[in-house]
Amino acid sequence: MKVRVKSFAILRQYLPRETVVEMAEGASIRDLLSILVQQVPPLAGEIFNEQGELKEFVNILKNGRNIHFISGLETTIGDGDLVALFPPAGGG
Amino acid sequence: MKKTTLSPLSIAFHVFLNTFIWLCIYRWLCGIMDAYAGKIADIDLTRKKVTVASTPSDWKKRYLGGRGFGARVVTDRVDARDDPLGEKNVFVLASGPTTGTGIPLGSRYEISAKSPLNGTLMSSNSGGVFGWKIKRAGFDAVILNGKADKPCFIFLNEGKAEIRDASAYWGKTTHEATEMIISDLGDTKAKVACIGPAGEKKSLLACVINDMDRAAGRAGGGAVMGSKNVKAIVAAGDLSIGVADEERLNTVKERIREKLEKNGICQALTKYGTAVLVNIINEAGILPTRNFQSAHFANAEKVSGEALAEKYLKKNKGCYACIVRCSRVTEVDGEIHEGPEYEPLWAFTADLGIDDLAFATKATWLCNKLGLDAIGTPTAIACAMEMKEKGYIRDGPHFGSPDGLLDLIRQMAYREGFGAELSDGSYRFAEKHGHPELSMSVKKQDIPAYDPRGLQGHGLEYATSVRGADHVYGYMVSPEVLGAPVKLDPYTSEGKAQWTKTFQDLTAAIDASGMCLFSSFALDADDYADMISAATGTSLSARGLLHIGERIWNLQRLFNLKVGYTKDDDTLPSRLLNEPLREGAPKGRVWQRQPLLDEYYELRGWDKNGVPTRQKLEELGLA
Repeated sequence: MKVRVKSFAILRQYLPRETVVEMAEGASIRDLLSILVQQVPPLAGEIFNEQGELKEFVNILKNGRNIHFISGLETTIGDGDLVALFPPAGGG
Repeated sequence: MKKTTLSPLSIAFHVFLNTFIWLCIYRWLCGIMDAYAGKIADIDLTRKKVTVASTPSDWKKRYLGGRGFGARVVTDRVDARDDPLGEKNVFVLASGPTTGTGIPLGSRYEISAKSPLNGTLMSSNSGGVFGWKIKRAGFDAVILNGKADKPCFIFLNEGKAEIRDASAYWGKTTHEATEMIISDLGDTKAKVACIGPAGEKKSLLACVINDMDRAAGRAGGGAVMGSKNVKAIVAAGDLSIGVADEERLNTVKERIREKLEKNGICQALTKYGTAVLVNIINEAGILPTRNFQSAHFANAEKVSGEALAEKYLKKNKGCYACIVRCSRVTEVDGEIHEGPEYEPLWAFTADLGIDDLAFATKATWLCNKLGLDAIGTPTAIACAMEMKEKGYIRDGPHFGSPDGLLDLIRQMAYREGFGAELSDGSYRFAEKHGHPELSMSVKKQDIPAYDPRGLQGHGLEYATSVRGADHVYGYMVSPEVLGAPVKLDPYTSEGKAQWTKTFQDLTAAIDASGMCLFSSFALDADDYADMISAATGTSLSARGLLHIGERIWNLQRLFNLKVGYTKDDDTLPSRLLNEPLREGAPKGRVWQRQPLLDEYYELRGWDKNGVPTRQKLEELGLA
């Protein structure tokens, strides 16, 4: 299946603005991030903390919904889904 | 030589006397070195009389400064029925105890008055260096009463305040007036907060601009200054700002500096500024588009913070003592200024259906020069665009086209042509043409850059904010989108009433303290209480700090109730209650007013009509 991935802000130093990743059916967000980190190892430092969990204030949206309110890194992805990766951001 | 021997009783007496004297000296010094400048310039413009008074210790203790001072003075001196553009309104400009003490992000000042936009007890915040400078000029606050018979400016210098002639500056833009005043004074270190043509014309969208490009915006504070014929407040001088316990404060400063430096959101603000929110808010499906008809802008990428950084960013810039430095200095077509921040960037693009970043940047700059609110100005245009689209008006601007808009903005400031119709904001325009429902406002103040249909807590903040729809009176976007201090599900209502109340009270206290609200991404109530205690020599707890914030919030609420606001006004436009979003993750959602509102009233200690109970007022010392 094909998953669309968008990156933003500082993550664009490591990933294209938008890319398509080929994945096996039933893959999770964790699987997707593993693939991306394999391709670009320094990305890990931007996304994960030392425990291998998402860093504070990093937000990942699946089709606009924060995965924190689905199943976190275990959230499954389907064909054609859009995954948006946001490093910490702020404003007002 | 005769040898004197002191008896034990005599020695004890001398020790006691010395201790007593030193204690008195210490307490006297603490009274002086308490982070306040110690003086208030109370100015009767009608009688041309300047009174310099000591800053009341009761105000310091119960209201801290800034927004707290403003709320107290407006409550004491303005009748809720008074015309906000009449002589009886007051205009208060006040810094806070942390302002200018060198505490990182301690730079802010506030303006307060009865709002001419909506009658609320408004208070607006601004950064830059002006807040620091008025304390160096010897003042914690300036209060403008009455009305001058001709254009004037207020000159604060080393503990003295004067009313000076401003005829030469009347009619000038904020940039022109600032440069002329500094040049005429011959003091390049003087700092200026002034109004532009919009304030002079008493546009209800007028704000006060300090340090060229920093705005105390929203709610029409600039029109109040204009109604009093005051073009500017100018600060000069170099008086020192002493703190009560320097050693303790240095320890606190180090701690909060470390927290700010390590905080991911503060780091991101340094790198990308607030404009980086365009993409994240759009991807979450809550970026209001075409006057809130949609919440997804297809061309957001073209007008994003990333695009701004790539195309026009020159450098970042900070306010006094700031280590975050979120402001963007940009260059377009050879011109260089500050901005745009996220809110005007959104309002001049997605809300107008325009994907022209250069236009949005220039339009924001123009608002600053003319002294127009860079949120309320474009949102009024967005309202006109929808009215035009629906055929409710014959002439007017079109969604998607920036053609003629820079001139329309200028017209809005000068009350000329079609712009004159929009000069007082979207609500009055939409109401005049028979469709007030198309004003996306709460209590006549336009809603900022987050669609509450996908943010239940932030919607409650819009509905209950004490100066009308607002994002900086309780920024629930922080937990509901950014994940700070925790991640809260934006689509649910559970727990949001408590979070909103806490955010509102903490924000009121931060606004009173002189700290920048962005510090709250990294700091908690204990941090603020510690820094205020060390600076002022008081013993303030986190609970005490929130209590002060709650007192300020209730004071503003009480004024608004006297103005005539009721529970019916604590709501959102019908579109946001009844028209579900049609796309994106929040598709199908509206803002759910109940049971959120009732829970919120109960938590606030208000009755079912939103009126503070006697018990609550007694608890806050407001009975």
